[in-house]
Amino acid sequence: MAIVKMDKISLIALQKDRNEIIDSLMKMGVVQIEDIDADNSENGLSGLIAKSGDEEKVIELDTQIEKVKATIDYLSAFNTKKKGFFESKRVVEKNELNEIIKNKSDLWDIIENIDSLNEQLSLLRSDENRLSNLIASLEPWENLSIPLEVSSTKYTLVSHGVVPVTVDAEALKSELAELAPQSYIEKVNRDKDQSYISVIYHISCGDVVTEILKKYGFSKVSFTGLTGTPAANIADAKRQIAEIKEKRKNIQKKIKEFADSRDKLEVFHDYLEIQRDKVKVLSNMAKTDKTFILEGWLPSEKSSEVKSMISQNWECVLQIRPSEEGEDHPILLRNNSLVRPFEVITEMYSLPNPREIDPNAVMAPFYFVFFGMMVSDAGYGLVLALITGIMLKKFKLQGMAQKMISMLFFGGISTFIWGALFGGWFGNVVEAVTSGKFTIPPIWFNPLDDPIRLLIWSFIFGALHIFAGMGIKAYMLIKDGHVLDALFDIIPWYFVITGLGMLVVGGIIGSIGKYMAIIGAVVLVLTQGRAEKNIIKRLFKGILSLYGVTGYLSDILSYSRLLALGLSTGVVATVINTMGTLFGFNIGGIILFIIVFIIGTVFNIAINALGAYVHTSRLQYVEFFGKFYEGGGKGYEPFKIKTKYTNINIIDGRQSK
Amino acid sequence: MNILNALFSGNVLALTGAALAVILAGVGSAKGVGLVGETAAGLVSEEPESFGKVLLLQALPGTQGIYGLLTAFVILNKIGIVGGTAVELTTQQGFLFLMASLPIAIVGYLSAIAQARAAAAGIGIVAKRPEELAKAITFAAMVETYAVLALLASILMVFGIKV
Repeated sequence: MAIVKMDKISLIALQKDRNEIIDSLMKMGVVQIEDIDADNSENGLSGLIAKSGDEEKVIELDTQIEKVKATIDYLSAFNTKKKGFFESKRVVEKNELNEIIKNKSDLWDIIENIDSLNEQLSLLRSDENRLSNLIASLEPWENLSIPLEVSSTKYTLVSHGVVPVTVDAEALKSELAELAPQSYIEKVNRDKDQSYISVIYHISCGDVVTEILKKYGFSKVSFTGLTGTPAANIADAKRQIAEIKEKRKNIQKKIKEFADSRDKLEVFHDYLEIQRDKVKVLSNMAKTDKTFILEGWLPSEKSSEVKSMISQNWECVLQIRPSEEGEDHPILLRNNSLVRPFEVITEMYSLPNPREIDPNAVMAPFYFVFFGMMVSDAGYGLVLALITGIMLKKFKLQGMAQKMISMLFFGGISTFIWGALFGGWFGNVVEAVTSGKFTIPPIWFNPLDDPIRLLIWSFIFGALHIFAGMGIKAYMLIKDGHVLDALFDIIPWYFVITGLGMLVVGGIIGSIGKYMAIIGAVVLVLTQGRAEKNIIKRLFKGILSLYGVTGYLSDILSYSRLLALGLSTGVVATVINTMGTLFGFNIGGIILFIIVFIIGTVFNIAINALGAYVHTSRLQYVEFFGKFYEGGGKGYEPFKIKTKYTNINIIDGRQSK
Repeated sequence: MNILNALFSGNVLALTGAALAVILAGVGSAKGVGLVGETAAGLVSEEPESFGKVLLLQALPGTQGIYGLLTAFVILNKIGIVGGTAVELTTQQGFLFLMASLPIAIVGYLSAIAQARAAAAGIGIVAKRPEELAKAITFAAMVETYAVLALLASILMVFGIKV
């Protein structure tokens, strides 16, 4: 178990060397540069120094990065080169980078070009929308033969409009013919909502016509700005849309021609990000007229390397010293490859603070065992280990994802082991398929036959887990010099809990347990009030402390989930197999079995792996960590080259000579 | 009287228990998963990339339904309706099965909904701090404990009934 030791670095160097030094630090990528509190610096320089940094430059670079990224995203929509999901980053050679930086105005031209082409595209799109809407509004009038701009002649008025489809058009027609004989009405079209009608009438009967139309719910439709017949207008709009489509194709073709620049743009994007990070880190530093000041953390093992690199190359004042007691240095965990995947569980809870120890090495074996017990099916374990194993082999996973998948891989192995112990191979698939002729016997015992036995084992595992947590607490207390605390607060509980457990067994073991529990309880009563001066208070507090036994018991009972979730996998698997074999062993039955088996198994693995992950984590977080763990550490994030698309490893930084 | 006799026959009572376990725990899970789903959809409409994370949270209140089914299956198995020859139960045995199903039926129903609330609130955590997913899951898992305990009680009871 290891929290990597950190050294504090303080550096005062000349402004003129600043860029070179930052480049070199970035290239080494091991120093986490801390924000200097200019008024409260360790160097005792408060008042003499000012914050360094250039916010405007950071914002400017951020805007540029945003622009480049938008262009890249845009180009990738044209999908010229499909990238694999887990594909590793392309390595950029120095020549290529220099070439790109030298021709960056060309790249900006490309970006501007694509930007303007994109703008044209969106203009065309809105034009097309407008035309489509026009067509939709004119289509019902397509049969109208009067040009739309005609609204009156010398003696007549023309009026187009709609009436609800429920209106009796014949009645309207006859009423018009009767009361306003100098009128002509035509029903142009109708759809499910309304009828489209056109009325021509003599000026003299205008009022009468308007009155009648109003009565029938006529609402006027006007076509402002349109000339010619509706049919001609529609044809024209259709022609324009075709033109737009043609134009759009051309523009897209032009954009496609730029697709090759995507690689260059990616490099440029990453280059800009590096520049941005460099400017950004300045804001953590302080400066005077001629010098700049930098403080930070780095792993102790890198100290000499960094020291020689900086002090050999530049004039400076450099101090690197081990972290002091009580200093909150960033946390870097280092564990062997078996434990490392389980770090992800602790990381998701909280990193240890610098005064604690890394709990992962103790936690990992328990996690391994509990995860397997909760799924406990050899077949499922194999499937899980196989899938995650292939993922690990095939894709170059990094960071959290890599740890998570490796953890599930180990979980699969554990599941396999427990499954074999309990005799679960895809539930009872062998028995189901052979109608009970064959069974794979469990190596240990089948929990379905004797759940109480496994329940007791669950409690024993739980007690061991809790004891381990208390043991770490005791270790930490002793390490900090509180030997008495460890002796009185933790050891007696070992006696009480173990004793109570043995009491349940009965017989001679039971009576031994009884005395162990009594001894433990007596020690607790006598010691738990030791902070109090008053003897009665002291005794009272001691007796009260015995109440803590309920806490430990409920913690241990919580491990019954090991049994419950283990049983649930087995039973659901049996349900799946039973469902699958419902139709016997004819061809249809076998096909049905295969379908049910595959779907059911995938479902059961997924839901149980999730359940096992959740509940094992809970046991770690609540029952185990609750005994000793504080957490609250901040992760170690060195100042280094961080890129999105490519792997640029060429920065002009000096090495130690 | 015949109807009463038939109604209180051991097998009917045992099946009632099995049915209750599936129905109540299942309804609870359905409500719960639905509730978290609604909240999750709200977040995904803003941040589609958080889908995987919130799906995990949505799945959590779904387990009670499975526990219910599981208890029902164990009962059906025990009384020989699934896999084996059906047993004729006495009324008392029937009531025993009915009682045995109650923990997971009732606790399953209520805990699924309570867990869904915790999970839905957890989506709020994911929205603001995606890296704290584990804590959101832990809050929901705290509720699940009682469903697991109820399942355990139900299963142990069923296993313990002599047929």
